[in-house]
Amino acid sequence: MRTKKTLLALLIVLVCSSLMFAGTVSGKVTYTGTPVKQKPIDMSKEPSCAKQHATPITNETVVTGPNNGLDNVVVYLSSGAPDDGQVPSQTITYTQKGCQYIPHVLPMHVNQEFEILNDDQTSHNIHPLPKVNTEWNKSQPPGTPPIKEKYDKPEFIPVKCNIHPWMHGWFVVLKTSHYDVSKDGGDFKLPNLPPGKYTITAWHEDYGTQTADVTITGNETKDVNFTFKAKAY
Amino acid sequence: MTGAILFTSVIAVLLVAGLATLASAQDEPLVGPKPPVAVKPMESHIGNLTGHAADAKSDYRRYCAGCHGVYGDGNGENAVWLDPKPRNFTLATFKCRSTLTGTLPIDEDLYNSIARGFTNSNMPPWNTFTKQQRADLVAYIKIFSPRWEKEKAGEPIKIPPEPPVTIESISHGQALFAKLECWKCHGTHGEGDGPSAATLTDSQDQPIRPYNFAGGGNDSRFKCGSTNQDIYKIFMTGVDGTPMPSFADVIQPNDAWDLVHFLRTLQVHRHGKENVVLMAAHGVIPPYVDKNAAPTAAPADNKAPGGGQ
Amino acid sequence: MRMWAQSLLICRRSPRRHSVMAAAFAFILLIVVGASPRASALPAFARKYGLRCSACHESWPMLNFFGQKFKDNGYQLMNDRDAPIWQNPGYWPVTFRITPIWHRVSTNKVATDQSLSGEQKITSSGFDLSGLDFHTGGTLEKNFSFYVLPSSDPTASFHFETVMARLDNIGSSPWLNVKFGKFELDNLLSEKRILTLTGNGGIYQLYHFIPANDGNIFGQMGDNQLGVEVMGHSANDRTRYSVSLLSSNDGQVGLPYGAESYSTFITGSQAFDAGKLGVDRLGFYVMAGEAPTSWLTGPSGGGPNGVIPGSGGNNRGYSREGFVGQFYFGPHIDATVVTQHGEDSAWFGQGYGDYADGMAPNNYVPGVSALPAGSRNPTWNGVLIEPHYVVNPQMILLGRYETIRMSQQSTPGTPSNLGNITSYTVGYRYNPFMTSRAGFAYHGEYNWWHQDGTAPDNTTNLTSSELLFGIDFDF
Repeated sequence: MRTKKTLLALLIVLVCSSLMFAGTVSGKVTYTGTPVKQKPIDMSKEPSCAKQHATPITNETVVTGPNNGLDNVVVYLSSGAPDDGQVPSQTITYTQKGCQYIPHVLPMHVNQEFEILNDDQTSHNIHPLPKVNTEWNKSQPPGTPPIKEKYDKPEFIPVKCNIHPWMHGWFVVLKTSHYDVSKDGGDFKLPNLPPGKYTITAWHEDYGTQTADVTITGNETKDVNFTFKAKAY
Repeated sequence: MTGAILFTSVIAVLLVAGLATLASAQDEPLVGPKPPVAVKPMESHIGNLTGHAADAKSDYRRYCAGCHGVYGDGNGENAVWLDPKPRNFTLATFKCRSTLTGTLPIDEDLYNSIARGFTNSNMPPWNTFTKQQRADLVAYIKIFSPRWEKEKAGEPIKIPPEPPVTIESISHGQALFAKLECWKCHGTHGEGDGPSAATLTDSQDQPIRPYNFAGGGNDSRFKCGSTNQDIYKIFMTGVDGTPMPSFADVIQPNDAWDLVHFLRTLQVHRHGKENVVLMAAHGVIPPYVDKNAAPTAAPADNKAPGGGQ
Repeated sequence: MRMWAQSLLICRRSPRRHSVMAAAFAFILLIVVGASPRASALPAFARKYGLRCSACHESWPMLNFFGQKFKDNGYQLMNDRDAPIWQNPGYWPVTFRITPIWHRVSTNKVATDQSLSGEQKITSSGFDLSGLDFHTGGTLEKNFSFYVLPSSDPTASFHFETVMARLDNIGSSPWLNVKFGKFELDNLLSEKRILTLTGNGGIYQLYHFIPANDGNIFGQMGDNQLGVEVMGHSANDRTRYSVSLLSSNDGQVGLPYGAESYSTFITGSQAFDAGKLGVDRLGFYVMAGEAPTSWLTGPSGGGPNGVIPGSGGNNRGYSREGFVGQFYFGPHIDATVVTQHGEDSAWFGQGYGDYADGMAPNNYVPGVSALPAGSRNPTWNGVLIEPHYVVNPQMILLGRYETIRMSQQSTPGTPSNLGNITSYTVGYRYNPFMTSRAGFAYHGEYNWWHQDGTAPDNTTNLTSSELLFGIDFDF
C-alpha cells in the first residue's frame, strides 16, 4: 500500500516536471527575393468546380503572406527526439473540394490513419506517387465513403488527380509527432518539447529544406526562424 | 592417316581457342562501380509449378535485360528508345493484377503477363517459353525489390459469374461510364480522346495515352488480357503506375459486369456478343432507369456518352 | 552464301609451312578474342524493336523458338506496333553482312596435268572474303511483310537470293499466311541460318545431295526456290505447317526451263513443353516433284549452247522425305537431327536431266533414248546430327556429323558405296558484345569431308578438309 502511494507521488512529480519543463519552438518562415507568380488555374473543363470559385484560384506551389511570410512549409523535429512510436490517434482528413486539395500539404505520422474525402460533384482519382512507400491509385466518385489509408515509411509524397491535372498536393509522412505546417503568413509552433538538443527541419515543396539546431533546457519558448530564397522561375 | 592426325591436331587448336574465348566470355562485365546482381533464392508458385530465380539467370540476360536492364531497373540499353518505357522491377509496381491497387500481384498475374505481352508496347508475347521458364522468370524479377521479402501478395478479387448480356445491362453500364467519369480520359465513344487525355502522365512522368476502345479490330486486346474477366479485373484493380485508378471500392460486383458489357460495345469493330445484343436493339442504348431508386432527373450533361454505334 | 562457299574449295601451296602458320594465326586470334570484353542478328529487326540479338537467335544467325515465331508471324511481334508507321521515319530496314576470313583448304585429289596419275593433293591457305548479303525485310503494313535479299559473290556479282512478299494472318488467323516469290523452303534447320562457313561445312550435305552421275539438279532443299507457300501455325507457334508449290528450276530466274514442271514441299511439326528440358520439336518434310529430262536447241535458243528456255519436257519424278527433331536438354545443350530418304527416277540416275545451272546432262530424245537394261531408281538414306553447347548467349560451341549412304545404285554392278558422303564439322562462335544495333562474331571452324569413289579418276575416294577463322559481322 505504501509503495503504491510512493509510486503515485513519484509519477505526479514526473508528470508535473515534464509539463513544467515543456519547451516550445515557434517562429516564422519567410522568403527573400521574388517568388514566381502563381498561375491561375483554368477549370473550365470541370464546371462543377469552376463555379465554386468566384475568381480563378492559382497554383499553390508557393503560398505567401504579408511580410514575406511563406506558408505550407512543414517544420518538424528531424533529430534529437527519439520517436516513441506512438501513433497519434486523431484522424486527419484530406479533402477534395472545388478541385483543390485541402490542406495542400498534409503532414502525418508514420502509420497514422488518414481519410480522404470528396466534397465535389465530380469524380476524382487520388494518385499519390511515393517512391519508398507503396503506390496505389483509387477512384472516388461523389457520394462515396472516405478512403482510409496510412503509410508505413517516412516520405514526402506528391499527390495528384489524373482527371484534373492541375490538382497537386503533398502527403508528408514523418517519424515524429512534433511537426507543424506554417500558415497565416509563415507562422509555426512546435509545443511540448522536453529538454534536449534538437535539429529542426523546414521543408518546402519547391524551395527545398533548411535546418536549425536548438537546445531546450526547461520551460521556455525558443524563437527559430527560417528564410528561404525564392526561386525566380 | 594424315587426315586423322590433322583432324585431331586441329581439334586441339580449336579446343584451346574455344576455352580461351570461354574464359573471356564471362557474364555481363562490370561497368562502373555497380556490383553484379546477387541472385537471391527467390521462388514463385503457379499451381503445381515452382519457379527458381537462379534458373532464370541466363534467360533473363538473353531475353529481358536489353530493355529491363541487368539490374531490373528498366534501364536496359534499349530503354531510351522505347515508349512506353520498360517496367522497373525495383519498384514492384505492376499494371496487371488480380489483386487490389497498391498490393503485390500474385505470381500467376506475372506469369500470365509474360506470355501475353503488352499490346501497343514493345513487350512481345513470350508464349514460346516453357511453363517452367516463365515460372523461373517470375521468381527472378522478384529479386529486384525488397517488397517481395517483406510483403505478402494481395488477395485476388472475387469475380462473380458473368450474367447474361442484355440491353439493360449495357444501358446500366453506360450510365456507370458517365457517372464514374470514365469518359474524362477515354472519351465519350471510348476513343481515348477525353478532355483530360492529353495531360496524362504515368508515375515516371512519361506521357501516356488512355486506351482507345474503338481503335482495334475484331482481335483487339487490352493491356491486361482480352476476355471479359480481364476487363473486369482491369478497372476493378486499376493499372498501377498509370493514371488508371482502381474502382474496387466504388463499383458493386454485379454493376461491374454491366460496365464490362457497355465497354465491349465501344469496341465497334469487334463481333462480340455485346454488339450482337446492341444490334438487335437497332444500335440504340436506351437511357438507364434505376428501378430501385427514386426517380431523379436524367443527367442533362451534354457530355454524357453517346450510345454505341 | 553457298556460291562463295564453293569458291573456297579452289586452293594451292605446300603443306608443312601451313600448320606453322595456322598455329601462329590461331595464337593471334586467341589474343584478339581473349582481349575483347562481352552477344549479339538481323540488326534491322533488332533496331526496330529494341531487342537484343539473343532474344531471337540461339546464336546468330541461328534462330531460337522465339525468333522462329517472329518469322512465322511475318516479322511481327504482334503487339500492334509492327507496321512501319510506328517507326521513326529515319528507320531503314537494311542489314549488310560480310565475313573476312583466313582459311586453309586441303583436297587429296585434284586433277592436274603435271601429275603422272593425273591427280594430286593440293593444300593452300590464305586470307579471303565472303560475298556480301544485303538483307532488307520487314513489314509494309500490319500483316503485309516482305523480304528482299540481293546477295553477291566475293567479286560483287549480285543475284537475288530471296525476293518475297507475304500476307500474314489472313482472316485474323495465324493458321493462314501466304508467301509469294523466291524464298527459302520452310526447313526447321535452316541452311540460310547455318552457324558454319566452310565450303563443305557451310552447307548441309543432306540438302544438296545428288547421287554420282545423276542428272537431276532439283530437289535441293537448301536452295531458295521460286513459288508460292501457304503456311500456318498456332498462336504460340508450337504447331506449324507449310505447303509450297514450286517451279522445278532450282530458283533460276527467267522462264522455267521445264515447260510445265512443278515441285512441292510439305512440312509440319509439333513442339512439346518438356519441362526443365525446354521446348522440344518433332516434324517431317516431303519434297517431291517432277523435273524435265529433255530440252530443245535451235537458232533462237537463248540459253547456253542454244538451249531454248522453257522447252524442257519429258518430266520424271523424284522425292526427298524425312524427319526433323530439335531436342533441348536444359538451357545449355541441344541437338538437331534430320533424316532423309531420297529417290530419283531411273532416268535421272542414268544422267538424263534438264539443262540448267550450267550443267549439261544427257538429253532425252523421245523414241531414241532408252534406259540401259536393269537400270533402277537410285535411292539413299542420310542423317544429320548437330549438337550445340550454348555456354551463354554470347558463346556457342557446335559440332555436326552428316552421313549419306546409297541404298540402291541406278546402274547394277556399281560399287554400292559410290557417292556416299561423310562430313564432320566442329566450331565455335563468340559474340564479344551483345546489343540490338549490330552483330559481330569471332568464328572458328574445322570441317572434314569425305566422298566414296568420286575422285577425278572415279574409283578412289575424295577427301577434303578446311580450317577457317573469320570475323562475321552485320550492321
